Amino acid sequence: MITERVQILLTPAQRRRLEDEARRQARSVASLVREAIDARFGTVSRQERIAAAKAIAAMSGGRYLTPEEINRAVEEEREAFFADH
Amino acid sequence: MRFFVDANVVVYSAMQGPYQQGCVDVLLAVADGVAEGYTSTAALEEVWHLELSGKAGSLTGLTRRAHAIFSPLLPVTDEALQIALAMRNTSVGANDRLHAATCAANGIATICTADTGFDGVSGLSRVDPLDHAAVLKLLGR
Repeated sequence: MITERVQILLTPAQRRRLEDEARRQARSVASLVREAIDARFGTVSRQERIAAAKAIAAMSGGRYLTPEEINRAVEEEREAFFADH
Repeated sequence: MRFFVDANVVVYSAMQGPYQQGCVDVLLAVADGVAEGYTSTAALEEVWHLELSGKAGSLTGLTRRAHAIFSPLLPVTDEALQIALAMRNTSVGANDRLHAATCAANGIATICTADTGFDGVSGLSRVDPLDHAAVLKLLGR
């Protein structure tokens, strides 16, 4: 939901680039700015990122493999996937 | 310092073993926004393959959680593929070349990985998750 109003200052060149791009894509300047924010910073909050990292650290079902074994397992899985498709 | 986080760092964060603590420290620092760690779609694809294969035990949800930490991921672009194809004198495989090339395309000169194969990649310095002092330096502590 779009509810937050933010006023920012741009250089004349930045404004021109934004308006040119908006015209080219037949979109609003605001939607381009929103899209750029999501593309640069993602859509996940810091709290959600930290929760994800803690959840990974708490996982207990993994079986230790050496780095070489991990590479081999990934390659085998990839080969099996492409053999099936 | 901007650095690339290899797939095995994500995997080892979820696995009890010698690498876990260093790898968890990296993930938590990136998640908290105090370290500039990035990974790519290609690296998380490796994690996903391993998760789906079951060859490293039950890692259900690992890729989804890692994506939450690192989103937005670095894309593997046309430029990265060109750099990877031009790499010579290296023993690393195709996917690792793509990781190294993705680093080059994004101005990243450091990779955090347990894979010693990256030691021979020109223009890229490796931080081993087992090297506590190097990990602390990487995380700016």
